[in-house]
Amino acid sequence: MNQKLALPEDVLMSIEKPERYIGHEINAVFKDKDKIDIRFAMCFPDVYEIGMSHLGIQILYDMFNKFEDTWCERVYSPWVDLDKIMREKNLSLFTWESQDPVREMDFLGITLQYEMCYTNILQILDLSNIPLIATERTWEDPIVIGGGPCSYNPEPIADFFDIFYIGEGETRYRELLDIYKESRKNNESREDFLYKAAKIPGMYVPRFYEPVYNEDFTLKEFRRLKDDIPATIVKELVTDLDETYYPEKPIVPYMKVTQDRVVLEIMRGCIRGCRFCQAGQIYKPVRERSIEFLKQRAETLLKNTGHEEISLSSLSSSDYSHIEELVNFLIEDCTKKKVNIALPSLRIDQFSVDVMEKVQDIKKSSLTFAPEAGSQRMRDIINKGLTEEDIINGAVLAFKGGWTKVKLYFMLGLPFEEEEDIEGIAKLCNNIAAAFYEAIPKEKRVNGKVSITASTSFFIPKPFTPFQWAKMNTKEDFIDKAEHTKHYIMSQLNQKVIRYIWHEADVSMLEGVMARGDRRLSKVILMAYKKGCIYDAWSEYYKHDVWLECFEECGIDPFFYTTRERKDDELFPWDFLDCGVSKAHLLREWKKAQAAIVTDNCKKRCVGCGTAKFDCGLCINR
Amino acid sequence: MKVRIKFSKHGVLKYVGHLDFMRYFQKAFRRTDIDVVYSKGFSPHMIISFAQPLGVGVESDGEYFDVEVNDNENVDLFVQKLNEQMAEGVEVLEAIVLPEKAENAMASVAAAAYEIEFYKDAPLTEKLIKQFIDSPTVEYVKKTKTGERTINIKDFVFDIRYLSMRCMYICVDASSGGNLKPATLCDALLKLDNKNIEDYPFHVTRKDTYKRNENSELVPLNKF
Repeated sequence: MNQKLALPEDVLMSIEKPERYIGHEINAVFKDKDKIDIRFAMCFPDVYEIGMSHLGIQILYDMFNKFEDTWCERVYSPWVDLDKIMREKNLSLFTWESQDPVREMDFLGITLQYEMCYTNILQILDLSNIPLIATERTWEDPIVIGGGPCSYNPEPIADFFDIFYIGEGETRYRELLDIYKESRKNNESREDFLYKAAKIPGMYVPRFYEPVYNEDFTLKEFRRLKDDIPATIVKELVTDLDETYYPEKPIVPYMKVTQDRVVLEIMRGCIRGCRFCQAGQIYKPVRERSIEFLKQRAETLLKNTGHEEISLSSLSSSDYSHIEELVNFLIEDCTKKKVNIALPSLRIDQFSVDVMEKVQDIKKSSLTFAPEAGSQRMRDIINKGLTEEDIINGAVLAFKGGWTKVKLYFMLGLPFEEEEDIEGIAKLCNNIAAAFYEAIPKEKRVNGKVSITASTSFFIPKPFTPFQWAKMNTKEDFIDKAEHTKHYIMSQLNQKVIRYIWHEADVSMLEGVMARGDRRLSKVILMAYKKGCIYDAWSEYYKHDVWLECFEECGIDPFFYTTRERKDDELFPWDFLDCGVSKAHLLREWKKAQAAIVTDNCKKRCVGCGTAKFDCGLCINR
Repeated sequence: MKVRIKFSKHGVLKYVGHLDFMRYFQKAFRRTDIDVVYSKGFSPHMIISFAQPLGVGVESDGEYFDVEVNDNENVDLFVQKLNEQMAEGVEVLEAIVLPEKAENAMASVAAAAYEIEFYKDAPLTEKLIKQFIDSPTVEYVKKTKTGERTINIKDFVFDIRYLSMRCMYICVDASSGGNLKPATLCDALLKLDNKNIEDYPFHVTRKDTYKRNENSELVPLNKF
């Protein structure tokens, strides 16, 4: 047996859950490092059980390891207990497979899934002994490359990355690796390699671009420092999802991770144009995987992992063309194999209620609705194509099927919100409760009563959405609105069966700053990290006071990014990126939102958002 | 029918805790074509019961669990089928059909044997082990939730042998009523020599797990 561990035994025995750090899971890939040219460390900058649950990394891990000359390994953030010990004992961060130092790798790829992981990126670099600032690195250090949803506004973290890969990872890595091999063989400088990389479609090399600001710190110009690199970087995407990488043998962790199941990605993109949703815009156009592909993969993946649950992944599973056939196939196949089926993001209608009856324990489970807003006016503003009638009908179907627990998700602080919209949340909850008592006769009420949980989160405007122009609420506004929501719920007739929960407002403010931030924020993030901020996504470790102190010391006003009114023609820090959806379309949608006019979804009618230029998916197969 | 599986666990997997290791075996079974019997209800689970949890950091040559499988299964193929699905460091050693009236693995555990290896400094001497064996009582203050309790360690030790200055073999009570942790014995032993266990880190390997046969002798869990 030849199993190496980077951490000594006494360290492993003194920390929480040492199994987070041991690697060697089922289906992990090992290669002979003398027989490969490129070592790629793929990092999710959060704790193992979160990072291990991410499908995108499993897909890219599979792709890289199919390349004969490349060995892809994984890296995660050490939890706070180990972080402290590694600093005290000067231990360097390692990859999970070989347990070799991260610094020995050729590439360090970091996935950017949420803004609140930014200090963890610095933790990863720091513990790996890699200079935090990209331009201070040498060939002794890996090329640090970022990707994922937050790379659609990479500017706040631009100083820390050598390259950002904009778009879906399956298309351009081979090209990048080939150029890298060539550059190293010819003893070219790191700068020369990056210059070549900047010419590959989808690659953004921040050091070759420079923001120029107006006096009020809005962006005046985004300047190229080399002539022959693109002024606008167009996102990369897979045009045919059946002809690409999809792991047949995903890694099976020992620990119970957040996503302890087979995840079947049925499609990318979303036909709906909810105006608050970034994922709905940046992954357009909708591209489906074929039903044959999915049936075959479901069986292979269950067989190769031994997982006892399978789940479908997409932004809106009910919109998949063959959803009924797929779900019926899974029910039949999985019942035989004693496998559970999890069906998130299904719209509540007759079909989904029938399906859930077969796959869920009605007494224990609850049904989830995401109306996002309480009033019809507000649902029209956000373009959520859902009426109160749809919601009540869906709930009644569920009540007749035996469910008594309903969860509802709302947002507070949406643009143009008024008092009636907040009150609408309470009224909608009340009407659902009333519908229960009306639809279900007393003798048939399973638990005697209905139970409704209303949950609100605070709206954060994101780049590449129609709401990228919107003012965000302050923390005080948010708390005030949550109090109002609570008050309105308490004054409903059925208030006893309605439970209300809301999220914290401090973290939302920082997320709002980072989401629409510019390059000036790099120094704030660096200072916050140096003052001990990591794991900002975990409320117990989030240090709001320290962050405020850093903004102050850097002379940067956080409200510039959140509550400021933006003009229609303002140049945004992310405008040099092209996700397919045009700024003109987003602006049209912003105007329609102000007038509370809804826009058709892509299946009903093409509204000319701009992604037709990619010539694939729903844009051509209508 | 019920089948008793014996396996060993070494290497990095010693850091995988008991509950996760049970899930590991359930997933391994699902990767084979072995027809395991499931419980009824909305979330059916495999009927598997482990003999004795193995602490985090402990390796083993003799672990056991019982699993119920379809009567038509050919148990002779289990070792091979399961080993094809094992991670490096875990090896399935034997699979036997349980006799009709056999007690389940967990209930029948009486004792466990361990090899203790001090990997930094070597605190063991033949004299110390002899002193332990010759003392009629070795008192040890056990901290419990409600307070402290003094026990005579010797009531729970069936065998102790000196192997080297770093190494000893012990066989101790592992029954549900009287389980003695190897670390407790090491602590008590070093105290006799006025040494602090904290200064002497050690590895533990479980050598085997035992039940009592009809003559009250200790025999491995797979011997009938």
